[in-house]
Amino acid sequence: MTLSSMLFAGKVASLTSFFSLAYCLAFLPVCIILYSLMPGNAKKYFLLAASYIFFWLISGKLVIYLILSTFSMHYFGLWIDRTQNKMQLQLAQSEKEERKNIKKKYVSNLRAILFLAIALHIGTLLTLKYTAFFSSNLNTLFSFFRLPFELEIPKYIMPIGISFFTLQALSYIFDVYNGVIKADDNFFRLALFIGFFPQIVEGPICRYRQTADQLWNVSKIDYINLTHGIQRILFGLMKKIVVADRLNPLVQNIFSDYTEHSGSMIAFGAVCYTVQLYMDFSGSIDAVIGTAQIFGVTLPENFQRPFFSKTISEFWKRWHITLGTWFRDYLFYPVSTSRLMKKLTSSARKKIGNHYGPLVAGSIALFCVWLCNGLWHGAAWNFIFFGLYHFALILFESLISPLVKLVHKTMHVNTEWKWYKAIQIVKTTVLVVIGELFFRAESLSAGFYMFRKIFTDFSFRSVLNEFTNIPGIDLPDLMIVFVTVLIVFTVSLINEKGISLRLVLAKQNLAVRWAVLYTMIVFIIIFGAYGFGYTAVDPLYAQF
Amino acid sequence: MEKLIEILKDINPDIDFETCENLIDGHLLDSLSIISLIAEIEDAFDIVVPAVEIIPDNFNSAARMMNMISRLQEDS
Repeated sequence: MTLSSMLFAGKVASLTSFFSLAYCLAFLPVCIILYSLMPGNAKKYFLLAASYIFFWLISGKLVIYLILSTFSMHYFGLWIDRTQNKMQLQLAQSEKEERKNIKKKYVSNLRAILFLAIALHIGTLLTLKYTAFFSSNLNTLFSFFRLPFELEIPKYIMPIGISFFTLQALSYIFDVYNGVIKADDNFFRLALFIGFFPQIVEGPICRYRQTADQLWNVSKIDYINLTHGIQRILFGLMKKIVVADRLNPLVQNIFSDYTEHSGSMIAFGAVCYTVQLYMDFSGSIDAVIGTAQIFGVTLPENFQRPFFSKTISEFWKRWHITLGTWFRDYLFYPVSTSRLMKKLTSSARKKIGNHYGPLVAGSIALFCVWLCNGLWHGAAWNFIFFGLYHFALILFESLISPLVKLVHKTMHVNTEWKWYKAIQIVKTTVLVVIGELFFRAESLSAGFYMFRKIFTDFSFRSVLNEFTNIPGIDLPDLMIVFVTVLIVFTVSLINEKGISLRLVLAKQNLAVRWAVLYTMIVFIIIFGAYGFGYTAVDPLYAQF
Repeated sequence: MEKLIEILKDINPDIDFETCENLIDGHLLDSLSIISLIAEIEDAFDIVVPAVEIIPDNFNSAARMMNMISRLQEDS
């Protein structure tokens, strides 16, 4: 018997889901109890150990990637920091005329170090995630041109969460390079920052300044954090197992047997998938943030009621926020404000005005962002299309915005009118659902086939007939989903109005608070999709 | 300050830049305005605004922008 099999390495994959029995009833409670028993200074080391045990249980020996990433960010951070210090020292000791040359020499050294760090982290991700995709596409190209080459298509096993912790590691290195933070010489603090168990599977993608010190200064669990954390986990649990997992058989069936379904059913499937994805991902993030809150750590929010967005660009400021801000800070602004782009912006502004001038450089940067966003989600053409679809929509919104403003002004349209806002929200939601259809489709061609069918084979009558033939879901299931979505919608609506329902609840007396908590638990137990007849669904974003 | 206000007015004449203190948080300046603004500020004040300086704190008001410009002028 090997050591790894004795220690359940990679054998507890169910822990990937924060709503599995293994996590909710074993791993998390044991962690909370042991954490509480630890003396003050040992708590952070306990969290680090728990994080590595968690990763070991879900990924086995692939934990090596996390260790190497941590070593790399630690080493590159210190290398950059020391080079910067040397530069400052030399600049302080030299005459004004010499400074320019000294700075030039050090800046090129620093760029080389940064390039090496990016190559290592992105190179690893590219190799593991995209080699098969690029090789098979090259083979198609070779055969198209009848060239006598054929690349072997490798199969690499990717550790869970690599797309998330790679971006987190890179953000640390960029921040050190930009002088936003000092390099951390404490390897264990860095290891906890990147490996903290709740966030490793699906994010949120945290910045060093947001969480590293909080994690390193954790103290005993207090009552408010414990109860608020549990409430948040329960709310996430409701979204995930009452809605997302219940919709899974329907979505699975429609997207895998898409040729058998009518256009109306495909449209229904696309809506259901959008609901499933939101409930799954935001529900998991609720569990992640709730778990962190129990230990007194505040993680950044990843969602801000995205389905209240009036434009696509607003949608992306509210959906998967930490990924969007990562691309904005480390790709969009560096590209759009690079020397070449600034020249382009200045000359374009003089020729085509204040709005369209910066749009030239902005659209080039935006294209890079959305190509990378699509590819980040997966190595397939439908993900690339998904990214470029959103690029086209955001660009279009920017292009027509002066015209839209003019129309509003001349026609005296009140943009604050609630029905106007409602129409904008519906329009944005429809566009998002179309994007998600391509995102979930088996392939890009399947996506186009399904999209076409919506317009060529649409009838409301066929939906009910087809629905009754789908195994694993029936009308009562749909009713449960509908009621729960309505609950989530009401909570979101109240939050959107700036009222924190959790704070309102916290002010109520003990009986009301516990009644709400018990109602939620009973609701989840009764209506959750688990047990006989249901297959546990892994968090959808963990696969990215 | 006058030079900066002039640049800002050229980018968006409808905003009262002398008093407004939530240019970014209030969504009055979008990313395209920021791209223009940086290109113009760099030209006018002979500085380089690194991408890392593009945070709401530095762009929420003309006074804050001026602070950032002065700081970058001192650094260069």
